[in-house]
Amino acid sequence: MDQSQESGNMEEVRICDPSILPQCLDQTDVAYSDSDVPSENHCVNEDHRTPSDPEGLLESADPTSVEICQQQELLRDMLKLQTDEDRSLCAGASETDSGKASEDSALADSVHDDSGEFVVTMLAQGKMEEQGIGMEGALSSLSETGTPPGPPSHRNEDVTAESWRQHRKHVFVLSEAGKPIYSRYGSEEALSSTMGVMMALVSFVQSGDNIIRSVYSDEHTVVFMQRGPLVLVSVSSSRQSEQQLRNELLYVYNQIVSMLTQASITRIFEHKKNYDLRRLLAGSEKILDGLLNLVDSDPSLLLSAVHCLPLASSLRDSLSQILQKAITPNLVFSILIAKNQLLTIVQEKMVIDDARLEPADLHLLLNLIGASSAFQAGEIWTPICLPSFNPDCYFYAYISYLDPPECTVCLVLLSTDKEAFYSVAECKRRIEEAMQTQNALSSIAKAHSYSVSQVGVSDLRHFMYKPFDVPDNHRQLTQFTSPEMEAPYNSEEEQMRLLDLYRDMHGRIHSTSRPLKLIYHVAERETLLAWVTSKFELYTCFSPLVTKTSAINAITKLLRWIKKEEDRLFIRYPPKYSTTPNPSKSSKGDAH
Amino acid sequence: MLMISPRMASGMQEKQYTPSLLSFFIYNPKFGPREGEEEKKILFYHPIEIEKNEKIRNVGLCEAIVQFTRTFCPTKPAKSLHTQKNRQFFHEPEENYWMVMVVRNPMVEKPNKDGKPPTVEYQEEEIIDSVYGSVLQQCYCMYKLFNGTFSRAFEAGGVELLTQKLEKFFYRYLQTLHLQSCDLLDVFGGISFFPLDKMTYLKIQSFVNRVEESLSLVKYTAFLYNDQLIWSGLEQDDMRTLYKYLTTSLFPRHTEPELAGKDSPLRPEVAGNLLHYGRFLTGPANLKDPDAKFRFPRIFVNTEDSYEELHLIVYKAMSAAVCFMVNAAVDLNREFCEQLDSLVGPQLTLLASDICEQFNINRRISGPEKEPQFKFIYFNQMNLAEKSTIHMRKTSSVSLTSVHPDLMKILGDINCDFARVDEDEEIIVKAMTDYWVVGKKSDQRELYVILNQKNANLIEVNEEVKRLCATQFNNIFFLD
Repeated sequence: MDQSQESGNMEEVRICDPSILPQCLDQTDVAYSDSDVPSENHCVNEDHRTPSDPEGLLESADPTSVEICQQQELLRDMLKLQTDEDRSLCAGASETDSGKASEDSALADSVHDDSGEFVVTMLAQGKMEEQGIGMEGALSSLSETGTPPGPPSHRNEDVTAESWRQHRKHVFVLSEAGKPIYSRYGSEEALSSTMGVMMALVSFVQSGDNIIRSVYSDEHTVVFMQRGPLVLVSVSSSRQSEQQLRNELLYVYNQIVSMLTQASITRIFEHKKNYDLRRLLAGSEKILDGLLNLVDSDPSLLLSAVHCLPLASSLRDSLSQILQKAITPNLVFSILIAKNQLLTIVQEKMVIDDARLEPADLHLLLNLIGASSAFQAGEIWTPICLPSFNPDCYFYAYISYLDPPECTVCLVLLSTDKEAFYSVAECKRRIEEAMQTQNALSSIAKAHSYSVSQVGVSDLRHFMYKPFDVPDNHRQLTQFTSPEMEAPYNSEEEQMRLLDLYRDMHGRIHSTSRPLKLIYHVAERETLLAWVTSKFELYTCFSPLVTKTSAINAITKLLRWIKKEEDRLFIRYPPKYSTTPNPSKSSKGDAH
Repeated sequence: MLMISPRMASGMQEKQYTPSLLSFFIYNPKFGPREGEEEKKILFYHPIEIEKNEKIRNVGLCEAIVQFTRTFCPTKPAKSLHTQKNRQFFHEPEENYWMVMVVRNPMVEKPNKDGKPPTVEYQEEEIIDSVYGSVLQQCYCMYKLFNGTFSRAFEAGGVELLTQKLEKFFYRYLQTLHLQSCDLLDVFGGISFFPLDKMTYLKIQSFVNRVEESLSLVKYTAFLYNDQLIWSGLEQDDMRTLYKYLTTSLFPRHTEPELAGKDSPLRPEVAGNLLHYGRFLTGPANLKDPDAKFRFPRIFVNTEDSYEELHLIVYKAMSAAVCFMVNAAVDLNREFCEQLDSLVGPQLTLLASDICEQFNINRRISGPEKEPQFKFIYFNQMNLAEKSTIHMRKTSSVSLTSVHPDLMKILGDINCDFARVDEDEEIIVKAMTDYWVVGKKSDQRELYVILNQKNANLIEVNEEVKRLCATQFNNIFFLD
């Protein structure tokens, strides 16, 4: 197919704005695929003035311009902000802020020009039609997201209400200038004074040549973390350890980096300290919301390990082989996911020699996919940064579900070449074909997680097992295995309670100052044992009346069972392929 | 406090610094609500040399932190602030009166070559909040015992009187804090009880009754032997603070001749016809002295309701000490003291030797003490009873423990875990040093055991603790 012909079929929109990702998820994907957008340059200028973009409004109503000047006055202001119910100060601040608005947007434009290297290629409907991929689903999904969706209900929460305070875990992201970037509950505008106080606390302690870490009350743990120009704050009543909350904030930070890259965040704030980063993250709240839900409910983030879907090793091997065969230059990772668990992952061996995909990066990627139904719409081509791998550069991810409309099996292909969409899409076609021949989808559909009863130990209710780097000399993707949560942990509350118990033990056993080797905890409703050795990390949950002797016997049996099943439970030897990079870097034509 | 670490970094020594008190202040935000008046909020500030603006800034930060946490829970504001270099503890014992204690994190100073200044590494996770939070609360309790509440002082003499009292008390008290040796026992703030047979206990009770009858001025009495409590007529919380004062401050200052050497000559304190060893630890040092002063320390008890101000008379004979508390409105004179001395001295001397005899018999029955396989701390929230075989000696200056500080901190961690839920629980952990630590909570009782056998397994550890419970706590049910 000729290249020029192709761009006729396809709307190729260059957005000199690194926030492509959220935009292709929400209102903007329609805004930008609208053929009324005349030119690239114009597009840039219009960026934050489109009617659907609320930023013009936000800008003038934004009450936070916390300039850190005289600390003492600031602290006094902080107290007033809290006590005066924000009235006088907000009004005053918004006046001064709107006065600066024009200068502000001018500066922002220069930032945009500066980041012109970020390019997104959006797939237009015509293209999908031509390829005949999930058109029905795609259309309905697109029209769903076509009208700018009303913000989720918790964005409109009354931040002075008791129900707001009752949330288990608040997370806030703000810039060093005190500008709100994200709040899990309640709108950033309503919380701007609270976030201003947070920033003031951070900089006040900093002014004394010190660093604020956390605040404890009987109800909450407040953890502060600064990363570059961003400040992240967690206010949690979950009683997790500070270290765990800090790790969660790191996930949040890295998810933001995965959309913008660290380098561009740094550059943006170097240009303009007061920049409102929400402009670039518009629509990404959903992704961060999703991440925080995952952090609370999915132990893989706690364990920094990947949960694999148990699969006969022969089936897993044949899936890996399919991925291994469907390659194109600059392809570096091929990942197959089912039911949000990993099926297999194949990686390039030359380009990323001796490196591996970190579980944390995979979690961010999975969350990104899970956070939006827009990905179910067909094929997505989007830049994504994998912060643990390299926080400053983008990969280009091709994401497509293989089983529409169920959308449980997802293929992710990562390339280093932003122009490689067509060649990577062709890989997908080949993978799909091969899977069809082997009837792989129906085999995958039959695969499911297992029940703890299969272990055959009577008092054992649940466990999490994380082996360290097996087999030898093979830097492995850190994985863990865990059965389904069954009775008495069927309800959401009970599952959360069990996870909290695991989190408690995890926090103690991995305490930075006083780590432990083993914890045996007899509580009223269950007995738990956590054990860390050089070979594995294990958390088990027993019925409360188990004796120590039978618990130890149970663990011996469990370890034996895992050993027996390990080929099914884990990806034992992650396969690799070689896609020698194309020196010319013009890979567009390579697909055909 | 500075300790030289045994680790040597390429021939140069690392210096390890233990936690220390950076500052301690008390403020009331209502006293200087207007701009430019912030200094008026500050009622006490240690160290006194700190420059005024610095004080105001630090108080401002505390106010801001407290206010900030109220955004999320108006009724439960901040208790502590963790920073890289220090921890700040907040306590609001009376409405709007805030006490703040700033403790520097322990740190390691590593020398650098080429004359560069040494690198300082703060150990941020070493301090346990519950321990130092309790120390701050003790500060208030101790102040209140001898001075009454902040608000009463303010009502009586305004800010001037209050600041005077605060300065007078805390100037001395803060020097006795010894933050480097605080541990789980500070969280409990328990009372060690003297184990006694029924007969001897009844003798003591009847002695107390007799004295209270003869000396009608005596409102409350407390009886201690060997620094351990036997009988108290005070409310538990008041007794807990008084006990702490007696055992860590008053008694150590009066080292006993009978402790220094058994064969100290009888002091011919003749009262009537009887020789006795009785003497006042508070009030007149020597009754025979014509210039003797009959002034006793005042204490405040039941501050929640009846708010009583009392004279504290501590009278001691050999290892037995009795506290008599008399309404402060009464003027105590030589006559009263002589009467008390002649009445109590001989009886208490007799009683003390009775108890001593009984104690020695009991010890012989239980057999010679051999080094046990475990050390333990027991605490009962109901009666504040506390027992520790970990702490060898508690003095005013330092509490010596026989186990590694890290193990003590693990006990603190387990205690924090217990505090989370109101259930009976058992936690057994194996430390990185292979020591086993066991914590058991049953009803209001807590037991912590450190086992010496390093290579034991979980089941053996369990057996060992079972044996301990059977011998030491046979009447207490603990979860198996």
